[in-house]
Amino acid sequence: MTDVATYPRKRLKLERRVNPSFSWTFTMYLAATLLGLALSALLLWTSGADVVKAFSTLLTGAFGSQKAWVATLSKATPLILTGLATVVAFRAQVWSIGQEGQVYAGAMGAYLGCLMFAGLPVWLYLSLIILSGMIGGALLGSIAAWLKDRFDVNEIISTVMMNYLIVFLLSYLLGGGPWTEVASTVVYQQTGPVPALSELPHLMGSKKLHLGFVFAMVSAVICYVLLEKTPLGYEIRAMGYNPVALAYRGTNIGRTIILVMAISGAIAGLAGVSQIFGTSHRLRADTLYGLGYTGIIIGMIGGLRPLGTVVAGIVFGGLASGALYMKLLAKVPSALVPAMEGILLLTFLCAAVAARYKFVRVGDVDV
Amino acid sequence: MSELFSEAILISILAGTVRIMTPILFAAIGELVTQRAGIWNMGVEGTMLMGAFTAYIVATATGSIWLAVLGAMMAGAMMGLLTAFMTATMRVDHFISGLGINLLVGGLTLYWFRIYIKGRAQPTFDGFDNVAIPGLSAIPWIGEILFTQRLLTYVAFAMVPVIWFLLYRTRWGLELRCLGENPKALDIKGLNIVRRQYVAVLIGSVMTGLGGGFLMLGFSDRFLADITAGRGWLAVVAIIAGNWMPRGVLAAVLVFALLESVATHVQVLGLNVPHQIFLAMPYLASILLLMGLRRKTNQPVKLGIPYFR
Repeated sequence: MTDVATYPRKRLKLERRVNPSFSWTFTMYLAATLLGLALSALLLWTSGADVVKAFSTLLTGAFGSQKAWVATLSKATPLILTGLATVVAFRAQVWSIGQEGQVYAGAMGAYLGCLMFAGLPVWLYLSLIILSGMIGGALLGSIAAWLKDRFDVNEIISTVMMNYLIVFLLSYLLGGGPWTEVASTVVYQQTGPVPALSELPHLMGSKKLHLGFVFAMVSAVICYVLLEKTPLGYEIRAMGYNPVALAYRGTNIGRTIILVMAISGAIAGLAGVSQIFGTSHRLRADTLYGLGYTGIIIGMIGGLRPLGTVVAGIVFGGLASGALYMKLLAKVPSALVPAMEGILLLTFLCAAVAARYKFVRVGDVDV
Repeated sequence: MSELFSEAILISILAGTVRIMTPILFAAIGELVTQRAGIWNMGVEGTMLMGAFTAYIVATATGSIWLAVLGAMMAGAMMGLLTAFMTATMRVDHFISGLGINLLVGGLTLYWFRIYIKGRAQPTFDGFDNVAIPGLSAIPWIGEILFTQRLLTYVAFAMVPVIWFLLYRTRWGLELRCLGENPKALDIKGLNIVRRQYVAVLIGSVMTGLGGGFLMLGFSDRFLADITAGRGWLAVVAIIAGNWMPRGVLAAVLVFALLESVATHVQVLGLNVPHQIFLAMPYLASILLLMGLRRKTNQPVKLGIPYFR
């Protein structure tokens, strides 16, 4: 830009940092965390709650004892999975918010598998249930990718719409449709209990933590390897940076998008499987609600990296689990947690930008 | 099905369509201004929800629905300031900041709602009544459909030509549209980009908040979590499907509202078909509309791309 000199006064201008240092990035994220907590405290204070008591019960309920940790990890299980689903899609700059619907699709696919494959040996039965759940999520994800590739339909909008559609489908299936619980006089919008054989085994004798947590950890490792160590991961990252260059290299962008969305959907579907067959043991909507949306926040706050997502997932699992304790002891509605999540997301978004840019004064520098 | 086509039902469906159009139309026509300025606000759903929630709180706390309308517009303005700060000042990716705002509002409204109703029955309010336009409302059929509506419905429809005029017949509108096509040209002329982006986002968000307020005050007497149920998203789809033209946006909103109106009437008639099929129609239609779309000729070139000098 040569016409800067025509500006009579000096102005602040954003300039991209070539290589943001680790300590600067870390400072920004720390500031974001503190600002987010301060804003949450303000929210509590303005609504007349005891801020210290609310935060301390939230923390104790989340990480205060071994029992609390187990509850936290069990709450974190589906959140880590939906967070990872977000990471895979967003790293490719595919802005899917279909994780919510894919969780439902995964749960429905797995329930269908549980009805179809009854009677098989237990290891085969469980594997097929898990597989059909992942296929359910992957299918829903690929539809959005196909719409984007073939018809240039914005993926945010198509995934939002499909989130609504899948909820209507489940509402039909559970409320008067073929999967409605029989032999109950009241309509609860749920299926009957799943067969005991299909339940995911618990870990370490705990009643809450189940095999799903292992899936989440394994998925995190697979995502890391996929993104950082494989040709597909290279394409995914390159698509995020420069899709045009990638197309010139001979990569089929449409095929990559469909693959990305199928993988993302399969992981989100796994979250649905883990909720139904690990936690609630029947198909119902309320145990699935919100997991996908929270997963977006977790993936973003985790810096779109698998390890960061696991950490963020455990922190947010802690918030979800501590919220019950806080509600009981500090009389603060547990809805504080989604509000806090939203606040933290926005402060982290600003921090991510602040970490990448610095203010320089135009006129002082040679532009 | 013959019952569905009796005269009274048909009039009721069409009058319902006009009423259901109102909140989506406010949001879609307002956000058209925002998008024309190059800001792709994906937080429309959240902004609308905040408007609806604020309208509920003000209506039940003060008993005045006009104060509630004002509150909804203020809430929209606050969300607009936040959106503009994220997109114009911080230059966060427009999609991401919009998603963040939706998630934030979902959490905040739920939390505040729980605080508000803690330990008591949920308060209700008296919403809008119809205002029949003298003379015109006496016309058979048309009078009942078009001229026996809530006051704000007339305002929403009046906004379509107003926004058209502002965008296409004023210098302000020309500069605003230029912002979406070629912001550098404005910048080189020495015009303030960020201030214009703020104004464009605020217009869209205030109207979206107003739409949310109408959704609350014109249809219901109590708040529910996620009461907007995707209407903000439908507004965004209407802009794309309408090829970024006021007329087209109006037509797209009409399609969504007609489908929703039919769905509500089918439920009342008690046809032997799962009612979810009809409820799903607007969402399905939005995907089909976007699939069938071949013209995106008026999409602002710089839509959703943060401007760096």
